[in-house]
Amino acid sequence: MKRALFISSPIGLGHAQRDVAVARELRALVPDIQIDWLAQNPVTKVLEEEDERIHPASEHLANESRHFESESAEHDLQVFQTWRRMDEILVANFMLFHDVVTEDDYDLWIADEGWEIDYFLHEHPDLKRANYAWLTDFVGFLPMADGGEREAFLTADYNAQMVEHIAAHPQVRDRAIFVGNPEDIVDERLGPDLPMILDWTEQHFDFAGYISGFDASEFADREALRAELGYGADEKVCIVTVGGSGVGESLLRRVIEAHPAAKRAVPELRMIVVAGPRIDPDSLPFLDGLEVRPYVHNLYRHLAACDLAVAQGGLTTSMELTANRRPFIYFPLKHHFEQNFHVHHRLQRYGAGRRMDFDGSPPDAIAEAIAQEIGREVDYRPVETDGARRAAARLAEMLN
Amino acid sequence: MSGGGQSRARYPDADGFVERDGVRVFWERYGDGDPTILFLPAWSVCYSRLWKGQIPYFARHHRVLVFDPRGNGRSDKPAEPEAYADVEIAGDAFAVMDAADTERAIVVGASMGGWYGALMAALRPERILGAFLMCPASALGEQSPERQEQAFMDEVETEEGWRGKFNRHYWLRDFDGFADFFAGKVINDPHSTKQVEDMAGWIRETTPESLIASACAPFSSLEEQLDVYERISCPVVIAHGDADEVIPQDKGVAVAGAIGAPFINLAGVGHAPAARKPVKMNLLIREFVESLRDAEQRGETVTRIASEESVAVQ
Repeated sequence: MKRALFISSPIGLGHAQRDVAVARELRALVPDIQIDWLAQNPVTKVLEEEDERIHPASEHLANESRHFESESAEHDLQVFQTWRRMDEILVANFMLFHDVVTEDDYDLWIADEGWEIDYFLHEHPDLKRANYAWLTDFVGFLPMADGGEREAFLTADYNAQMVEHIAAHPQVRDRAIFVGNPEDIVDERLGPDLPMILDWTEQHFDFAGYISGFDASEFADREALRAELGYGADEKVCIVTVGGSGVGESLLRRVIEAHPAAKRAVPELRMIVVAGPRIDPDSLPFLDGLEVRPYVHNLYRHLAACDLAVAQGGLTTSMELTANRRPFIYFPLKHHFEQNFHVHHRLQRYGAGRRMDFDGSPPDAIAEAIAQEIGREVDYRPVETDGARRAAARLAEMLN
Repeated sequence: MSGGGQSRARYPDADGFVERDGVRVFWERYGDGDPTILFLPAWSVCYSRLWKGQIPYFARHHRVLVFDPRGNGRSDKPAEPEAYADVEIAGDAFAVMDAADTERAIVVGASMGGWYGALMAALRPERILGAFLMCPASALGEQSPERQEQAFMDEVETEEGWRGKFNRHYWLRDFDGFADFFAGKVINDPHSTKQVEDMAGWIRETTPESLIASACAPFSSLEEQLDVYERISCPVVIAHGDADEVIPQDKGVAVAGAIGAPFINLAGVGHAPAARKPVKMNLLIREFVESLRDAEQRGETVTRIASEESVAVQ
């Protein structure tokens, strides 16, 4: 029997969804594999629903989502500084990983944006004792404009260290898989004296294409799906979601405020607000005619069935909507370089979504946008459906 | 508090203050495994957050004690130099052990903490199981040429370098300038912006008056230090970076020689190995702790470890 340990980033729910899909494909290619997960909330929420094996040491992981929530303000997350300020948590979680792999032999370690694993293995390559694969959907920290010279210097310094790590220790990553395509990469440098991100990524990564975690063709009969989920043919369903982190409560409240005006403009409107695993639905305002739901497993099925979604600028939700060709409005978190640059660039390439700015969008503007977008026919670039299989094939090469 | 406001990987299971001669010192306890490991302060330029890369890991296996030194964190900032004497810091450490019902502990120290740990082992050998000392301050060994130019008490002609910035008059004029300078010297390793920011933030949590008092504190002479090193009977390991600009590695080598302790060369590492190379240092400390526990379980009385050892950290 082969054994793999999967470390899935707990920042949001997106990694969990795609990693479960990769694990499923990996089992198809390596039938005698056993996969353990070193994972924390909210990833464990998905894993439990999928009956995946969660390593018991997982309960000792220091919580990263809580740290991100503690650093966030109203629809604002300086994600680069927040990540830097997570240094203590990353050390603690790497030490736990090291304890786990010292006690248990694995043939393969897979880290999907498990930053601590990748960073400390490059700091200490002698600690590598299994095949190791790294997955990510973006390369390069980018400075926000109002961070000034200091932030530009800091992001370049972190990128420079990554470049040096890979150059000095090419044996650490046996596989490096980019979740996407070369065209998804922004036209930027890693830093003033550093390579273009695209050039460097093409040299050091394989491209799996996007990994959606589901096959959009299973929703070809949208009417049947709507019926199954309880959405009537004469309703216009708008799903409001902020993914898996607790950072999005301000956006949920703002869209709830927009509900009365939106309902007046679109009388068939049925708005469903999904609080997610880390926001208490009872903490949100109660409005007549508005539905508030807690965590919804396989939310992507609801997104496939809806007439409009309102979301943050996170990659997974926006790409689920893109793959299912649904209209959506997205509000990138302020100071979140990944949502503002990397994800935005990717959505532009797919021609998907309508970007709005949280500060410049009072409830009435959101209501108006909802009325304009809901039920609209879209013309997005199609999203590939074989990403999980392609990623799993690269992983399986190390086990067979 | 700058650097202290960020969320922690683990929070203490108990905390409190000890008071000696009217000076209150804040301590924390994490975890409950044997043996207890006491992480010592390293001068009053930082407080117990210095050990944030160690506490969560060791607390999963051991009982961990830390305390804020006089002059920083939640401890008092007395005005008199005598309050910062090395014997007072050692006294605080034993008082913290008493407050946490800890008879014996392994001590881990860095910089000035490397001296405090040695002093504790000599003063109360029955209470110290072993000492892991990083980049220890000591009168032994050669000081770097740049630091030999210091004239701490005098008005000097420059505000640059060790001579200009490690100076009490400069501290009173521009303490921020000192904080940034000293943090950059402590963590001179490449790609260490976060550690430098942390260190500069911790320095700003003391005051120039308190730090001047601590820099003027009575300190053991060379002869007294040699006597302390000679009296140590527990196992000791010395680890020191060869890129250390604050306390040259020559001093750590000299301390290891005087104690008869193994010396670990930390290749390419500056003055804050626990902050800049936390994973490697955690594993080295763990190895030391395990060796003591294994020997104890075999019924051996462990005294000094005499082998030579060199570990490449990068």
